[in-house]
Amino acid sequence: MGIDVNIRIMGGAGQGVHTAGGLLCRLAVAGGHHFHATQDYMSRIRGGRNSYSVRIREIPVRAGRPQADIVLSLDPGHLPHILSSVSPAGIVVCDLPAGEAGSADSRVIAAPLKEFSASAGSPILANIVGAGIVARALGIPPETVDRVLTLEFKGDFLEKNRVAARLGAEWAQGRVPDSFRLPERAFRARMILAGNEALVLGAIAGGCKFAVGYPMTPGSGILLGLSADGPPLGLVFEQAEDEIAALNMAIGASYAGARAMVATSGGGFALMVEALSLAGMLEAPVVVALGMRPGPATGMPTRTGQEELAFVLSAGHGEFPRLVLSPGSVEEAYALAHHAMEMSEAYQVPCILLTDQYLADTVVDADPGDFPALPVNRRIVHGNDVPRDAKGRYLRHAFAGDGVSPMAVPGEPGITVVVDSDEHTEDGHLTEDHAVRIAMVEKRIRKGEALEMETLPPLLSGPPDGEVLLIGFGSTKGVIAEAREILSAGGVSAAAVHLRQVAPFPARAVSEILDRYRTAFTVENNRTGQLARLIRAETGREVSGTISRFDGLPFTPEELARGVKERR
Amino acid sequence: MSGIFDTDVENAWCPGCGNVPILNAVKKALERTGKPKHEIVLVSGIGQAAKLPHHVDVNVFNGLHGRALPAALAIRMANPSLTVVVTSGDGDIYGEGGNHFVHNIRRNPDIAVFVHDNQVYGLTKGQPSPTSDPGWTGSLQRSGVISGPFPPLAVAIALGCGFVARGIAADIEFTADLMVQAIAHKGFALVDILQPCVTFNKKNTYQWYGKMAYKLPADHDAADRVRAFELSLEWEERIPIGVLYRREDRPCFEELHPGVGDPPLHARETPPDAVRDLLRKRLFTLP
Repeated sequence: MGIDVNIRIMGGAGQGVHTAGGLLCRLAVAGGHHFHATQDYMSRIRGGRNSYSVRIREIPVRAGRPQADIVLSLDPGHLPHILSSVSPAGIVVCDLPAGEAGSADSRVIAAPLKEFSASAGSPILANIVGAGIVARALGIPPETVDRVLTLEFKGDFLEKNRVAARLGAEWAQGRVPDSFRLPERAFRARMILAGNEALVLGAIAGGCKFAVGYPMTPGSGILLGLSADGPPLGLVFEQAEDEIAALNMAIGASYAGARAMVATSGGGFALMVEALSLAGMLEAPVVVALGMRPGPATGMPTRTGQEELAFVLSAGHGEFPRLVLSPGSVEEAYALAHHAMEMSEAYQVPCILLTDQYLADTVVDADPGDFPALPVNRRIVHGNDVPRDAKGRYLRHAFAGDGVSPMAVPGEPGITVVVDSDEHTEDGHLTEDHAVRIAMVEKRIRKGEALEMETLPPLLSGPPDGEVLLIGFGSTKGVIAEAREILSAGGVSAAAVHLRQVAPFPARAVSEILDRYRTAFTVENNRTGQLARLIRAETGREVSGTISRFDGLPFTPEELARGVKERR
Repeated sequence: MSGIFDTDVENAWCPGCGNVPILNAVKKALERTGKPKHEIVLVSGIGQAAKLPHHVDVNVFNGLHGRALPAALAIRMANPSLTVVVTSGDGDIYGEGGNHFVHNIRRNPDIAVFVHDNQVYGLTKGQPSPTSDPGWTGSLQRSGVISGPFPPLAVAIALGCGFVARGIAADIEFTADLMVQAIAHKGFALVDILQPCVTFNKKNTYQWYGKMAYKLPADHDAADRVRAFELSLEWEERIPIGVLYRREDRPCFEELHPGVGDPPLHARETPPDAVRDLLRKRLFTLP
């Protein structure tokens, strides 16, 4: 199996957990290794118990592990909560006053983090002292730590950080075991980014020029990225007064010809639902990035869940086609955000990018080749390409063959662009004519049928037929893949299907796959098996059961493999 | 009256409806601006008033109830060369869309907003609106309106709106003139228009408004915010019409927003090299 070291930095918000975690990710890549990092944080600004877990392997890592091998605890008060999740041969590095609870545990290594922080010239460097100790345990040379630190800090503070890391590493000599040392490997340049960042880059690469939203975890990270990375490529960002304004604004910008998007979470999306229906009626291309978290209502704001599948599939009054994509990895977040921008405009339908807190905050190293600058195909018509009727009027909703009418934008000389949330004639003006109503409904539905022709097929891995099939959508992709490997290694022949598109649903492909396995389980971060219900509705086939997790935390591979063995 | 902005869309308003003179004022005002049709966008929400854009041959965005302002703002942000005018009802702008009214006055985008204020929900058949007088009996408040009326002009002045005016449907020339000034004003410009509802509002009639309304005197100092606020509260005895408050020194949102401007968003490209530069920022290489 090679190396598999799981490191967890723990501490209160404001103690530098994220900084130390990020540093260790870069150190892993600097050493030629791969990592997968996840965050678990509480809904508060300071204090609480937050953690940043970095799992390092020789192969790309796409799932976390519950048991940590090395824990850096920045708050000794957390020890009682930590010990149960440390592996038997693991270590816990902690600034522990003598006599504190937990000190009797042989895995705890009391380290003078605060003292060295002060020696390095700042009271806030305990995290970097600790990172130096962990780096030493991993066998990362001090000069590599020095080099990576130059990427994070500047000037006087960089020097203090270097001193802090060195003090930690020197102290660790002979005090930490050698069992976690990483073998030497050649360095290769890799992308390092989180799911939310990849989604943002994909949207910008997909030509997004207007982004708007109202802050809500875990959608806020997307807004943050769009507002920071978008403007150099001509994107205009605005914080709306509420989510209702946000989606109505995005639709207004779309009407004026901009590729537009919003980002939110379940509660914010609930407020956008009427506007989603407006996008359906106006045939306005627009993208909604929805980061799921556990509900109902406010639920658990900073944790993960997959409870909005059924919601997004039927959200919005009336009938209209929509595209719903569910990225399963950082790479897919990039590719599908670009795809969303393209398809939304090509078919003039709203598109929902269904992600969640787990994927949003998951950081990995990735192959730069998976992040190409893909083409942007604008479909707005100008000049002689604008179709006109006998009276010279532009018909925004002209009855085209596949239902997609050529889209012109206001400002185009010689025409006006008319859209209405009421049922309308081809020229966009409201009507109560029943025959026109029927034709317009059929036009919108035809777009959905055309959209269906371009459905992204489900991704199957493992044997083409056999005993067990695991089916998931969205962020569970990596966990399911590793669970499948664990099962196969344990003699259970298992395959996995990942759905990166859930609407239009790839019904035929899923049916054909389901028919080839003896048992099939959906894997879902919800209580009621929403994907299992969707499969039944779309294929008429019943899965054997659902493996659920709904405590607000992501699945882990061992747990999932165990669940399959118990249910099989 | 016929003109260059006429459309052949069937009229859905009651005979004698106050929306008809407002429509005529809008067309007159747009003609006087001299702008070509394709550079004008009329934005509305839902209600009888919100149907007005269908009768004007310009670009039209007839969106959701209460949501005209967010759409109008975004159209301006996407393409500031467009002249954007919101024309909708009091329930739409002050009720359902109240939050957008407040925050867009704060933003100050260059949008003229004409509110057909008839103090009643007409299309849903006679419920009180945010501006209904206390005691007025509507189909959902049968023992009379309890809430105090929403004072749009006072709220706008309090929030620093740079152009606050009141028109009257019965006087097309007067109201059209206010509209022309509102469109010319750089920033959020509010024209609240006293409008009779001949079917559901038997109190605030053409006759009643005719008796109550008075034109502001020529020597009214529209730069005097405190005086404008005082005037905005006049209602019980008599109702001032005209430009209550005006200031031209506040830059509009589009000027202050760093990304808004030329070229319009629909014409902005996504060069692959710029995308590659952006992606390269996430590429980890050793120094």
